[in-house]
Formats: sequence, structure tokens, C-alpha cells
Amino acid sequence: MSPLPQVLLDGLVAGGAYALMAAGMSLILGVVKVVNLSHGAFFTLGAYVAYAMADRGIGGPVAVPLAAAIAFAFGVFLGKSFINPARSHPFALPVGTLACALLFEQAAQLAWGPHPLAVDGGAPWPGPFGVVVRRWGAVAFLASAAILGALRILLVCRPGLPLKLVAEDEEIASSVGIDVEAVRYLTFGGACAMAAAAGALLAPAGAITPTMGRGPLVLSLIVVIVAGMDSVGATFLLSIALGVLGNACAYYLSPQWSYVALLCSVALLLSARPTGIVAVPGRRD
Amino acid sequence: MDTRSYPRTLFPGSLIVLSAVFLHAIIAMPVFPADKPGDAVRIGVLAPLSGPYAAGGTSFVQAATLAAEQANSEGGVLGRRVEVVAADTQGRVDVAKSEALRLVSREKVSALVGAYLSEETVGVMEVAASHRKVLIVPVAATAEITDRVRDEPARYRYVFRVGYSIPQWAELVVAFLSDRSVRRYAFVGAGIRWNRELGDALGRTAARAGISPAYVSYYSPGNPAFDPVAVAAAGSAPDIVVLGDPGRNSVSFLKRLREVAPGLPVFSIGGALGDARLAASLPLSGPLFVQAAAWSGASAAATEYAVRYERRYGAPPVGYSDTLPYDAVGVLAAAWRKAGSLDAAGAIAALEMGAFQGVAGTYRFDADHQARWGTGPGDLRGTVVRWERDGARIVFPPR
Repeated sequence: MSPLPQVLLDGLVAGGAYALMAAGMSLILGVVKVVNLSHGAFFTLGAYVAYAMADRGIGGPVAVPLAAAIAFAFGVFLGKSFINPARSHPFALPVGTLACALLFEQAAQLAWGPHPLAVDGGAPWPGPFGVVVRRWGAVAFLASAAILGALRILLVCRPGLPLKLVAEDEEIASSVGIDVEAVRYLTFGGACAMAAAAGALLAPAGAITPTMGRGPLVLSLIVVIVAGMDSVGATFLLSIALGVLGNACAYYLSPQWSYVALLCSVALLLSARPTGIVAVPGRRD
Repeated sequence: MDTRSYPRTLFPGSLIVLSAVFLHAIIAMPVFPADKPGDAVRIGVLAPLSGPYAAGGTSFVQAATLAAEQANSEGGVLGRRVEVVAADTQGRVDVAKSEALRLVSREKVSALVGAYLSEETVGVMEVAASHRKVLIVPVAATAEITDRVRDEPARYRYVFRVGYSIPQWAELVVAFLSDRSVRRYAFVGAGIRWNRELGDALGRTAARAGISPAYVSYYSPGNPAFDPVAVAAAGSAPDIVVLGDPGRNSVSFLKRLREVAPGLPVFSIGGALGDARLAASLPLSGPLFVQAAAWSGASAAATEYAVRYERRYGAPPVGYSDTLPYDAVGVLAAAWRKAGSLDAAGAIAALEMGAFQGVAGTYRFDADHQARWGTGPGDLRGTVVRWERDGARIVFPPR
């Protein structure tokens, strides 16, 4: 039996995971206008919360919202106390958020130790044509699609208007009475919650370690750079495409070529469309 | 006019909380014995205590510290206390070299033990050779270490390896595969130097035993792509999958493989899956074998060590990245005692001529300063265990 359906399905799941991380990153870049290098740390936080819950016999339905709530609180605190005050210094934020990520890694190492931990993902479901459907993979993909769908609806409806206005022009937003700072730190907290939800959803996929967020951080940055910051749909579809491409290259060429192929595709896309594949014309600076 | 308002100072609460976090980090940091020079015999231990290899590095330093405590409980070395001075290499060659230099020149250590990765250790060899300090290599396996000692004995005579070299490792793995009547194996690991050298050596050694590779693959540590590798490895229909990854990725790969091929036997040789805390949540739908230098129950010394380690650190040893550093410090202390001095020349002579009892067995060094591991008479043989729901059971060597 051909392994192609399995490879494609696994690519879909991997892409869904990239999308959830990337959507949060995209929100922060678009609204707060900050390269948040601590995004991976919130992913790790979510995975550790899932582990701590699983250790007490509590499953994902509680762990994922709990992880998101904790990350939201941390994110709001970080946004209010550090991101907003330091925004006027262009180099302070990437360095500062990187420092936060390293601080979190050290704290996680002190709290849980450097050794890998694991959460049981349960037995996979047998699918048609010999395809195996990973339980955590299916849940993560559906949750990713649902969260991104909700975000898309929020951005086109009235409650999302402050977000769009702040993203478009902070001066105009401020002049119509929007509390720009509050929008920024609440957005930052919401994006951190999305990263933590991704971490909790994907905790059964592998090993949980203090440095596990570094890989997803790089992949989400790649997706955001290529997709641009204006379309949730483009972020989702590009994430899926990169997931499938990476998996197909790993299977048909070599696993080590998968990363190279991913980065080459990104370079080609960016050389063709330097502003990302979805660019909104006429944005005010 | 700029209508944006930026507060001029950081939110005061955040400063208080950040200060508290830093203070907690400093207070809660792992404490190793005092580092001031004096009458104590100081051993510099190089291992990654941060970064992706921090798990193995932490066990490494813990075991070395335990060995120093054991040496002190036996009267120390030449009537002096033994102290471990730990240095964090971060898994990077440049840091490992600069830390080795610091240990030798500023901390005044009498010898070095380390490092962890092959790449780091080759860098540390240069420091040891140029400062004429004995270097005991516990876990780095690249053949380049013994090649250098063989090719330039005058320069690298300070370097001894207690761990197994790549050719010896391949011999130990093939001995186990032959015992299990394996005819075809799949080899999977991270695309790092150690895995590639071992994959090649395993192919050559296995061919002599009539065992052939069905699939060989190295994934990128940056984007491991476990899913397609697991699908391809299972699809090649091997009798067993040899998993060479020394880090956390071994857990992820095992999970993926068990999802597509639940009953396929896996033989983990990277050490990471020997962790009992991890084993409880690993999928055991098929046999999971783990290679170790020694395991509780393999000998009285191994059992005693495992009990002491667990009592000291709250978790059993993994049998590789802790056991070999423990033996490295023990062998070094015994060599100094035998030589009657801390002089490097005396220690080298003692190490070249002597036999040293350790947890994994009796260490003897060949002409290239390599401990004798293998399947010959008098060789150290290592241990293979199989994880089961109620713990690990020793399955090799057969008794």
C-alpha cells in the first residue's frame, strides 16, 4: 500500500500546528508591531501545563484552556509592564523578548528539570487505506482550524474593529477614543494564549523539555514572513502547504532535505513577493 | 503630533517580580562543591548544563559529583579531598574550549573529565594537550579521539577514554542484534557527527555478521520530520529499528513509530530512553530495548551505584551519561592513588599499566588509551535492558 496518504495526512497535521503558532505571532506583529522572540516560551509553557495536568490524571479538555488562561495572564503582564513601555526603542524588544524566553527556559529547567518528559497521546485510530490517524493530531488540527476560524470572524466583525484600527493606524485609533495601549497588551496576551494552547495540544506529540519552543518559534516566523500579517486564511493555508511540502520532501528525498526545501521555498516566494504572498495595497505608514 | 503615550519607566511591579525570579534562579541553581583552590584535589568536569543537551549534561555532572563524594568517603586521594569544578559547555565547541582553558588556568584543576559531544571533546583535547593535563573522556565516541592519540602519541598521551569508541559501539550493537537473530535493521538518528559515524560503522560491522540495513536515515535536529521517517522506517520492514538519537527527539520518534508500527522492536542506543521517569509514559506496544554501560542488577557494583544515585538525586541513573562519568572520576582517583602523586606523567603511567574497577566492570586501556569494550575475553560488554510496565529487565549479555 502506498505511504502517500499517510505522508500527506501527517503533513496536514504538522501544518495545522504551524498555523496555530503563526497566527499568534502574526497578531503580535500586526497589532503590537513587535518581533516576539518569547513566543516559543509560551508554547513550552502550554506543554508543561498539559504535563502537570496529565500527571494528576486531568486531560486535554481542561489542560488546553488552563494553559491558555495562564499564558494570557503572563502575556498581559509582559505586554503591560515591558512591551508597551519599551516599544519606542527599536532594538530593545527583540532582545528583551529573547531574554524573557531564556529566563523562562531556565525557570522551567529549575521547576521540572532538564530531562525530557512525556504525555501519553493514546492509541491512534485506524483509518481507511491503512492510514493511521493520530488522536492528538486530529484534535490539534481541528482545534487549530477552529481557533483560526474564530480569529478570522473576530477580525471581520465589529468587536475586532479596534484591533484592525490599531493595526492600521494608531493615531486614528487613538483619536476615535480607542485605548491603544490596552488593545496592544490584550492582543499580546491573546497571542501568547494561542501559543500556549498549541503547546498543550501538541504535548503528546513528543518530548517536553525547556528548549522545545525554539523549533516552533522559527517555523512560525517563517510562516508569518511569507504569508504576511493581513490574512488569517493565508497563514493557515501556507502553514498546511509548508507542512505537506516538508513531509513529502522528507519521505521522497531525505529528512535533512525537508528543512532545506522549506527554506528554499520561502526564499523563492519572498523573492517573487517581498511583502508576503498576501499584501494589502495602500496601507498608511 | 504624536498622540501615542509611552510610559517613561518600566512598570514597578514587573521589576519586583523579575528581581524575585532572578533571585530564585540564583538560589535554586544546582550547587556543586566549593570551588576555591586549597588542599583539595580539583577535577574539572565539562558538560552541557544548558541548551538541548542539558539533560545528559546534568546527569553527567551529578554522577561525577557522586564519584567525588565516594572517593572522599574512601579517604580521598593521597589524603586530600576531591572536589568537582563543573563548567557548562552549552553543547558548543568554542564554549567547551574556553571553559576547559578557564578550568586549567584559573581554577587550577589537576585533570579534566569530559566533554559530552564528540565535537566538544575534540576541542577540549587540544587544551589538555597544550596544558599537559590528563583528560578522561567518558561519553564522546568519535574515532578521531583514538586516531589522534595513535597518530601523535607524544602530544595526546594525556587523553584516555573510558567510554566506548564508535567501532567498539558498533561491535556491541551487532552482538545484541545477532543474539536476537536480526537479519535486517533500520538505523535512524539525528544528523550529528556521532550518529553518522556510528551508522557507517554499524553498516560495516553488521555486514560481517550477515546483517544488512533495510533503511538508514538522519533527520535534521532543527526540523526533525519524524512522521515521514517513521513511515519510511516501518515501511522498509526491518526486524528491528536501531535508534541512535541521544536527546529528546528519541522520545518523539519512538511515539511516531509506535503509532504506525505498534509492534516493531526498537533498540535505543542513545541513552535518553534509559530514563525511568520517561519510560512510564512511553508506548510499550512493542519491545523497547535500551543499551547502557551498566544497569542495576548487572553486578553488585552497578546495583550499589544505582541505589546511591537514586538516593542522592531522587531518580535512578540512565546507565550511560551518568555511569561513564562516574567511572571516569573513579578511574582517575584510583590512578592518582596508584601513582602516589598528582603528577600527569605518574597518572599516565598508572592508567597505561593498571586495571581499574568501576561500575561497568574492570577498565583496562589499550595502546591508544581506549578502554577495552567489546566481545573479547576481559572486555567490558555493557548491558541491554528491555522496558516493561513494571520496570526494566536485563536481556543482554545472556547469563
